[in-house]
Amino acid sequence: MVKEDENNQAPETSSNGLLVVKNLTKRFGTNVVLDNVSLTIEKGKTTIVIGPSGCGKTVLIKHLLVLLRPNSGEVYFKNRRIDNLGENELNRLRTHYGFLFQGGALFDSLSVFENIIFPIKQHCEITSWGQVEELVKAKLAMVGLDGFQNYYPAQLSGGQRKRVALARAIALSPEVILYDEPTTGLDPVRGDVISELIMKLQRELGVTTVVVTHDMTSAYKIADRIIMLHNGKIIADGDAEHIRNYPHPVVQQFINGQVSEDDLAVLRMSGTISQAQFLPRDFEQ
Amino acid sequence: MIEMVGAKAIGSVDNVGRFARFVWQSMTASLKSLGRRQTYPLIWTQMLVIGVRSVPVVMITGAFVGMILGVQAYDQLRGMGLEERLGVLINISVVKELGPVLAAVMLAGRVGGALTAELGTMNVTEQIDAVRSMGTNPVLYLVAPRFLACLLLTPFLIIYADLMGILGGFFVSVIVKGINSQPYWSFSAAGVELWDVSIGIIKGFFFGGAIAVISCYKGFTCKEGAHGVGQACTEAFVASFISILALDFALAVIFKAIYNTFWSLKGLV
Repeated sequence: MVKEDENNQAPETSSNGLLVVKNLTKRFGTNVVLDNVSLTIEKGKTTIVIGPSGCGKTVLIKHLLVLLRPNSGEVYFKNRRIDNLGENELNRLRTHYGFLFQGGALFDSLSVFENIIFPIKQHCEITSWGQVEELVKAKLAMVGLDGFQNYYPAQLSGGQRKRVALARAIALSPEVILYDEPTTGLDPVRGDVISELIMKLQRELGVTTVVVTHDMTSAYKIADRIIMLHNGKIIADGDAEHIRNYPHPVVQQFINGQVSEDDLAVLRMSGTISQAQFLPRDFEQ
Repeated sequence: MIEMVGAKAIGSVDNVGRFARFVWQSMTASLKSLGRRQTYPLIWTQMLVIGVRSVPVVMITGAFVGMILGVQAYDQLRGMGLEERLGVLINISVVKELGPVLAAVMLAGRVGGALTAELGTMNVTEQIDAVRSMGTNPVLYLVAPRFLACLLLTPFLIIYADLMGILGGFFVSVIVKGINSQPYWSFSAAGVELWDVSIGIIKGFFFGGAIAVISCYKGFTCKEGAHGVGQACTEAFVASFISILALDFALAVIFKAIYNTFWSLKGLV
């Protein structure tokens, strides 16, 4: 029993971190998505995870609240090991988190009001509906959407859906908010609104924030710390200035949005556009 | 080649294990949800969607089953001068086999397809992950109400199908073919026992449970994209259909054994 308790304690080196990932490896079939990743997320800070599409950013963030289980390695929350907990215990633990999914993941069949009260209904005994309505109003006001209570997700724009999803994520006043590509699919102005909102929530609620993104404008704006993932490993870790000046070529290509020489070589070898075009006459007998 | 066969075999065993685990989770979650007041509105909603809205199609199915049996069997029985016994043949076929099985197949198409498509879409748009991320068990929230609604309402839908099958058979036999209604009903009453009606209804619990759990499982495990959801719906219907037939066969054997052992003793009681 004592041994089990010892096993569930976070490693001493990471006792400052609210969330600690230690030697995490995740494979899907033979594809290694995360390869021995170790990471400490500090309390009250905004940590940004950047990296090219398919590098394992979303997989990493999903491990932080154990929506995915690692093949090896450990995840700790408040010095308690969580990756080996049963679903019932995890469900209690997950009320400390808010998660903004890439597409919002709002429930289509429920109105905005019903979406936001979903976690409240699941975990709290509702004694006064008046209070709940006030709470929903307050949460929607935080994301600038008060008055949209009776709308359905299909009636909202992409940016509005993300803001409603954010209001739902903060419904239980979480300690940690995880954002999966919050600005993807939005125009630059709407993207900036979401970035401002992330900063506002961090300021006003004092939450620990982890954002997965490949939007460098947003990353530089909101980050206390930026981590770059590449081929399942962390290749850079530091504040915005550190990342801007980091000499690793992959980091520089990514943050400046430049195509690599290897990619260019592949494009050159794949023929010209005119060679790849077919006209109706090419198929005439 | 051996490696491929081995991988397929391991994959199949793995799938069976996952499905068995899902069935167990669905049943325990359903029991648990009966004790949670906040689940009741979800169960009522599913009862409306799955049960009440299926009544018309199930009644139409039942009516046509009865009418078709009347049309097909009339000439053969008339040739032997036994047309007044047409009621026994129609009614026993309807209440014991064709009513329950065809009503269940209709439900597998109407309800099962809808359940798989709904949960499959929720799966690929991360809504099921969203339920989990908010600390709620998705089997308890999404599967249990659907499982309970299917389990409890399929027997009632079978009663509707049986009733319409009996009326359909009566319409063709008595109204269209002109068989005397008095012997039609008296032979039917003598030939169809309470036991026959009961086993048809009891089958409804098994069929309803199977449709719900297969359709929900396929929705929960469906692959990405529109193609993935479509494929899951097809697989759910095929699997439900085969399960209905397999369960019908197994239940027929079991009920036959029970009937032979106990029902014949009822006269002694």
